[in-house]
This record gives sequence, C-alpha cells and structure tokens, in this order.
Amino acid sequence: MDEARLRDWLARETGDETLRITALTRLSGGAIQQNWALDVAMRDGAKRWVLRTDAPAVLAVSLPRAAEYALLCAARDAGVTVAAPLFLCDDTGVTGRPFFVMGRVEGTAAAHRVVKQAGAQGDAIVAALGRELARIHRIVPPRGDLGFLGDPPADAARAMIDAMRARLDAAGTPRPVLEWGLRALERAVPAPVPPVLCHHDFRTGNIMLDGARVSAVLDWEFAAWGDPHADLGWFCAKCWRFGAVAREAGGIGAREAFYAGYESESGTRIDRARMPWWELMATIRWAVIAADQAARHLSGQERSLELALTGHIVPELELDVLAMVEAL
Amino acid sequence: MLEEPDGADLLATARDVVLLEILPALPPEKAMAARMVAAAIALALRERDAVAPPMPDLAALAAAIREGEHDPGTPHHDATAALLRDYARARAAVSAPKALGATG
Repeated sequence: MDEARLRDWLARETGDETLRITALTRLSGGAIQQNWALDVAMRDGAKRWVLRTDAPAVLAVSLPRAAEYALLCAARDAGVTVAAPLFLCDDTGVTGRPFFVMGRVEGTAAAHRVVKQAGAQGDAIVAALGRELARIHRIVPPRGDLGFLGDPPADAARAMIDAMRARLDAAGTPRPVLEWGLRALERAVPAPVPPVLCHHDFRTGNIMLDGARVSAVLDWEFAAWGDPHADLGWFCAKCWRFGAVAREAGGIGAREAFYAGYESESGTRIDRARMPWWELMATIRWAVIAADQAARHLSGQERSLELALTGHIVPELELDVLAMVEAL
Repeated sequence: MLEEPDGADLLATARDVVLLEILPALPPEKAMAARMVAAAIALALRERDAVAPPMPDLAALAAAIREGEHDPGTPHHDATAALLRDYARARAAVSAPKALGATG
C-alpha cells in the first residue's frame, strides 16, 4: 500500500492537511477482503480507523466495496450498530483497489471465543442481536441508494433454491446429498413474504461483541433483498453454533430469547413453522460455500490451508442435511 | 522393503511436534495456523486408512434426485436415502469423525 498517496487522499477527504498516518497494519482479514488498522494524527486528535479493501481474488458473489459502503450507511441510518462509515474511495489510483474507511470498533468477533464467553449473558446477547436483525429488516425496497441490489426476487425461497443449484452446476462436482436437501426444500417451498434487506451472513463470528454489548454487525458483502426468515435461520442453524449445539441461537443463547428480541423490535411475530425450512437451506448454502472455497484452493486460484480444510466441513454438513430432511 | 518408520508414523510424529513443541512457542496470532497444520495431518492419516464405499454414478444420481425421481413414494426412495447416509458417513469418517458420534 502506498502510504504517501493514501495520506494525501485522506488529507483531502478530511480537509485536514496536517493529517499524518501513524500506523497502518494488516488485520486478520477475510478471504474476500482485507482489513487494515489505520491510525492517523489530525488537528483535533488521534483517530483509530479501519481501511477495508478487496482481496486479490474476489468472489463473484460478493459485493464491491462501494456497495458495501452504501449498505453500511443504510444500516447506520436504520439504527443498526455498525462501524461508522467515514470515507469511500472508488479511485484505484490511490491504493490500487477501491476501499473505504470506517471507525474502528472495540471487541471480539472470534466465534469460538464469543461462544465460550457468552455464559449467563448469552440470552441477553441474542436478544440484542434479535433487535439488531429486526432493524436491518426494516430496510425495504425500493431504495435508490441500494440500486445495485437489483429488483427483489418475487419468491425469495424459490430463488434461493435456483441459486444453489446454479452454483452446484457451475462447480461441476456432483453433490447428491445437497441435491437431496434442495429437492426436499422444493417440495415444501413456503409462501413468499414481502422482501426486506437480508444481511445473508448474520451469524456468530460476524458480530463484534464488547463484553455483552453488541459493538458492530460486520461483513455486509452478501446482503440482498430476500425473506427475513433466511437471516433468522442462518443465525440459528446448527452449523453456526460452534460446538455449543444446545444454545440454539448462534451457540450463544436460547432461540426464544433471540426471537423475543427480534419480535419486540419488529412488532411482528416470527412464524416458527417456517424455521426448519430456512435452517435446512442455511446448512445447504454453507455447504455450497464451503465446497466453493475448497475449489478456489484446488484450482490454484488461491492456495490456502484454511480454504482447503473448509472443504472438509462438507461431509459433516451433509449429515446434518440428511437429518434435517427427515425432520422437515 | 522401504526403510521404516513409514509415512504414517512420520506424519503422526510430526503432528505431535507441531502441537506439543511448536504451538506453545508461537505468538497467539499464529496458533490457528499451527492447529490447522495438525488438523491437516490428522485428516491425511485418516484418509490413508479409509475405504471408499462403492457408489453409483454420482452425477446421474444427483440429476435424478433433482428431477424428483427419488422422492418419497418412489420405488428408489428408501434405498437412495440409505445410500446417501452411507456416502456422507464414509466421507465424514475422514473429514470430521466427531460428527459421526453426534448424528449416530
């Protein structure tokens, strides 16, 4: 990263020519994007920011940084707890790739640590997360500022089945167990509900907690118009409980505590009968993503032990799929 | 006859070195990488001893399932369900043996 160029750009954006970068270090980032801790000294004091940019190999299904920035702004305006979006740079002449700068948030998102530390506060945490999710779902189409999301699907559940099949076809590896699950879902497609903004990766590991306080909902790059139950199911699915299977809401707290938080904020009642469908879909979707991540390693596009091992999650997810089909 | 210890012995021994000697000396941000190395070695060792179950043409099976040819009420349904269970269990035995205990 060219620090001098970045400094000049930040100085222009902030209107503070005295701005100095005092630290710029790579944070442990995702496979899709990179996060840098960015500390600056300004006239009115020191600031602690995060610079977020695309990784060299970008997943086709993830949103570009400018879109993610617009989503962060929309979420903040809807009252969702997010890192404050500060500056967006579409000009690749500054760091080589688009990036944005946001406030740095205290806390931990590491899933295993969050699950381990939740303890007696778990129900309060998931209630707060239910309220956060309800605020996200308050964002509804049409929205000019979120035009990049396209038109909402007429039937989000049906569209999700089609999307999963298309990804399996594109990957080219036959996955009869996942097909088995998708076919079971197809036989039981729920009636459509009005579309909302779905985060589509709202789960333990993507939520930053500072003690028992939610400090930020992270990772907006899969957001899309959809069925709100998709997010509820993703959060509660067994595959996202990180070993704490009995705590059905993200391995953190009780499912009903999560639902209660959501219902208190949304003023709507969650149709519990819809949840097994969406939790099965969540399990299939994670299996499809995991298989795709391993494929990135196998193709040589991005050799990585983490991606390679992620592929080995698929058989376990398939066992879950088979059990969930029986119970659907 | 190749010289012993063999590859499996070496991998298992190397895994102990990673976990018992290297991991405790690593800074916290590198612990995950060491654990992944240990997991990869353990997985490779399980794969070495695994026996793949006989399976039909998976692409044809996947396509037929999608078309509904194995739905409940069809003649193939129960046999296909059993076959898929065996298929997933055999792969989980290598990839995630703990999962077998959990789902029976």
